[in-house]
Amino acid sequence: MAIAAPGQLNVSESPSWGSRSVDCFEKLEQIGEGTYGQVYMAREIRTGEIVALKKIRMDNEREGFPITAIREIKILKKLHHENVIKLKEIVTSPGPEKDEQGRPGKLYLIDIIDGNKYKGGIYMVFEYMDHDLTGLADRPGMRFSVPQIKCYMRQLLTGLHYCHVNQVLHRDIKGSNLLIDNEGNLKLADFGLARSFSSDHNGNLTNRVITLWYRPPELLLGSTKYGPAVDMWSVGCIFAELLHGKPIFPGKDEPEQLNKIFELCGAPDEVIWPGVSKIPWYNNFKPTRPLKRRLREVFRHFDRHALELLEKMLTLDPSQRISAKDALDAEYFWADPLPCDPKSLPKYESSHEFQTKKKRQQQRQHDDNAKRQKIQHQQQHARLPPIQQSGQGHAQMRPGPNPAMHGSQAQVVAGPSHHYAKPRGAAAGPNRYPQGGNPSGGYNHPSRGQGGGGYVSGPYPPQGRAPPYGSSGMPGPGPRGGNNSGYGVNAPNYPQGGPYGGPGAGRGSNMGGNRNQQYGWQQ
Amino acid sequence: MAANFWNSTHHKQLLDPEEADVVHPIDKERGFTLEDFKLIKMHMANYIARLAQNVKVRQRVVATAVTYMRRVYTRKSMTEYDPRLVAPSCLYLASKAEESTVQARLLVFYIKKLCNNFFLTWYLNSDEKYRYEIKEILEMEMKILEALNYHLVVFHPYRALSQLLQDAGMSDSTQLAWGLVNDTYKTDLILIHPPHLIALACIYVASVLKDKENTAWFEELRVDMNVVKNIAMEILDFYDSHKAITDDRVNAAMHKLGLKA
Repeated sequence: MAIAAPGQLNVSESPSWGSRSVDCFEKLEQIGEGTYGQVYMAREIRTGEIVALKKIRMDNEREGFPITAIREIKILKKLHHENVIKLKEIVTSPGPEKDEQGRPGKLYLIDIIDGNKYKGGIYMVFEYMDHDLTGLADRPGMRFSVPQIKCYMRQLLTGLHYCHVNQVLHRDIKGSNLLIDNEGNLKLADFGLARSFSSDHNGNLTNRVITLWYRPPELLLGSTKYGPAVDMWSVGCIFAELLHGKPIFPGKDEPEQLNKIFELCGAPDEVIWPGVSKIPWYNNFKPTRPLKRRLREVFRHFDRHALELLEKMLTLDPSQRISAKDALDAEYFWADPLPCDPKSLPKYESSHEFQTKKKRQQQRQHDDNAKRQKIQHQQQHARLPPIQQSGQGHAQMRPGPNPAMHGSQAQVVAGPSHHYAKPRGAAAGPNRYPQGGNPSGGYNHPSRGQGGGGYVSGPYPPQGRAPPYGSSGMPGPGPRGGNNSGYGVNAPNYPQGGPYGGPGAGRGSNMGGNRNQQYGWQQ
Repeated sequence: MAANFWNSTHHKQLLDPEEADVVHPIDKERGFTLEDFKLIKMHMANYIARLAQNVKVRQRVVATAVTYMRRVYTRKSMTEYDPRLVAPSCLYLASKAEESTVQARLLVFYIKKLCNNFFLTWYLNSDEKYRYEIKEILEMEMKILEALNYHLVVFHPYRALSQLLQDAGMSDSTQLAWGLVNDTYKTDLILIHPPHLIALACIYVASVLKDKENTAWFEELRVDMNVVKNIAMEILDFYDSHKAITDDRVNAAMHKLGLKA
C-alpha cells in the first residue's frame, strides 16, 4: 500500500488548517439520531448549500475523542467514491468563551449546557442526501420497481466492493445507512462501526457489530475472525427485504435471530459449512432438530435471477458467500429488465428513517388516543400504512378520525403518484406491511411543522406524475396477503435510528440494549 | 483507488524542508532558536518512545505519534502548545488511530512514573513539568485533532521496508535497517519525504554500513536515486550531529520552555 505505482498523483488540494466553526452553518432540522449523536440538516450560510451535520457526542466520554469517530474519519478520508458518502469537513462549535463575547451561535445553548469548548462541539459535515433506503421504502404507498431495485442494489454493491478493495469492512449495512439522493444515487453512510482489515492481519475483531436483523450467522455464532463476507450477508438481507417488502429476519434477540436464519437457510453442519462446529458458540446455538433450507420455497415468487443471487448472498458459510465483485457480475444485473439509470428515478420528498419513525411515534400516540376513545382501529404494525386518496381504492381504507395532532398536513401530498403499483389484492395492497390499515398516518412531517427552517414545503410536488413503471413485474408479496410463512411481523420496536447515526442507531430490536451499546473500545 | 499513499493527505501535505523548520514568531520572541526547536522535537520523540515502551504499544504507534507531534509544530508554537503535554497527547491519539488503544488513566500513570526516575536525572526538580492529568491530556487531544485538521492517516516506511529488503536480498539486515528507520523519526524526514523513499534511503545506508554491493538492485528501481541519496545523506548528517548533542544542550533548550503553562 505504501508503495503505489507513481504517476497517479492527484492534484493536491491546498491543505487548509484548523477547522471552521459550526457557525458557518444554520441548522434546519434534525434528521437522525444515534447513540453517537444527532444529525441535522443544515445550510451553509455562505453558499446556501444544504449539508448534513453529524454531531460527535463528547459527553460521557472518559476516553476523549471517541475511537469510533476516529475510525470513521480515518476511513472516510481515504474513501472517495460516488457510492460512498463524502465527508466534507469537520467543524467545531466555537464554545462558550467566544460566544460570551457576543457571537451567540446557533448552538449556543447546547454548548453552554456542556460547559466545555469541545464537549458536544464537534460536527462532521457530510453532503446532504434526501433519503435513506428504509425511510424511502417506508413511505406510504411506496413500491419500488424492478429496475429501481436493481439500480439501488448495483450501487450498493459497487460502493461496497470499493470499500472491500480498500480493505474496509462497513459492519453496519442496513437500509437506514444507505442514503439516496434525488438523483437516484445511493451512497453508503455511517462508517462508525467500520474498520480497516488486512488479509495478513490476524487480529481478532469484535462480533458485536451489525444491526441484529442484518447480522450474519458467523457473527451470531461468535466468530471473531471474519472478513468482507459479513457485509455481503447484510446486503442479502436488504436485497430480500426490497423484494419481499419487509425485513426477512426480524429477530428480537440473538438466539431468535439465529433461529430465523436457520429456519430459512437451513441449519449449518460440517457438510455445508466446514469448520462451523469450531466457532465459539456453535454448541450453544446449534438447532435441536435438523432444518432444511427453504429459501427457494419461501421466495419462489421472486424472479429466477433474483433468487439465484439471493441464494448466493444468504449462504451460511462465509467462505462460500458471494463477494461484492462477483455479485455485480450476476445474471440478475444483466437480464431484462436492466437496472435503470439513477437519474431516471422519480424524485421524492425527503424521507429519513428518523422522520418516519417519528411519524410512527405520533401514530402510536394517536393509536393510544384512539383506543381510549374506543375507536376500533387495529394498527399494530410498524411501517406506515399508505395514505389513501379517494380513487385509489384500497381495501383497508377506512374512514377514521382525522387526528388533530397531524391532520392538517395530511392533504399536502397527493398520494397517487407514489403508488407505483396498482393494489394487488385486497389484503395486500400496496403497503409493504399487509396488516396495515390506518389511513390517517399519511405524510406528516412533524419535525418540519415544528422545526422551522426553509426546507418545509415539499420541494418535489408529486402530483401529476404518472407511475414511471407499470404495475407488471412488481416485486413484493403481492396477493399473498398476510401470509408470512413464519416471517410474521412482530411489531418491531424502533429504537433510535438515523441515516448518519452511529453505532446503535437503527431499527434492529434490542436484546438487553445490545443494539444501543457503545462499541467504542472493542476491536 | 484512493486508499494509497499517493492520494492520501499525507502525500498532499509533504513539506519542503524550509517549511518544516519553522520557528514561530512567538517562540522566537522567547529566545528559541531553530536548533532549540529541533532539539526539543527530538527530545520529545524520545519521550514518546519511552512512554510507549511502558504502555506497550507497537512501534507504528510511536511513529504515528511522533509524526503528529511534528505536524503540530509546523503550525503551532511551543509556547501555546507545551511539548511536554503535546507529546503524550499525541501518543494517546495515535494509539486510537492505530487501533492499539491505551487508556488515558494508564498513560497518566506512566507519565508520573517516568517523571520520577528518567527525567529526574535530566532536570532536577523539574519532573513536575511533565506531569499532567487526564483532563489535560484529553483537552490537548482535541486541540491536536484540530491542529492536524483531522488528518490522521500516516504512512510509514516500515511496511515498504520489509518488502524492499526481501527483494534486495538483504533480509539479514532487517534489524539494522529497521533501527535506522526508527531513528529517522528523530528528525522531520517523515514530513518531507514519501515513506518508501525513506525506506530506500535506510536500505542504502544499511548496505553501505554492511559493505553490501547492490547498486544493480537500486538501479532497477524506478526511483530517483538522487533523492534517495540525499535522504541518506540527511540521515548520516543527523548521526554526525547527534554525537554533538549533549544533555546540557537539550537541557538548555527545554529550560526555555519554562514552567508549565
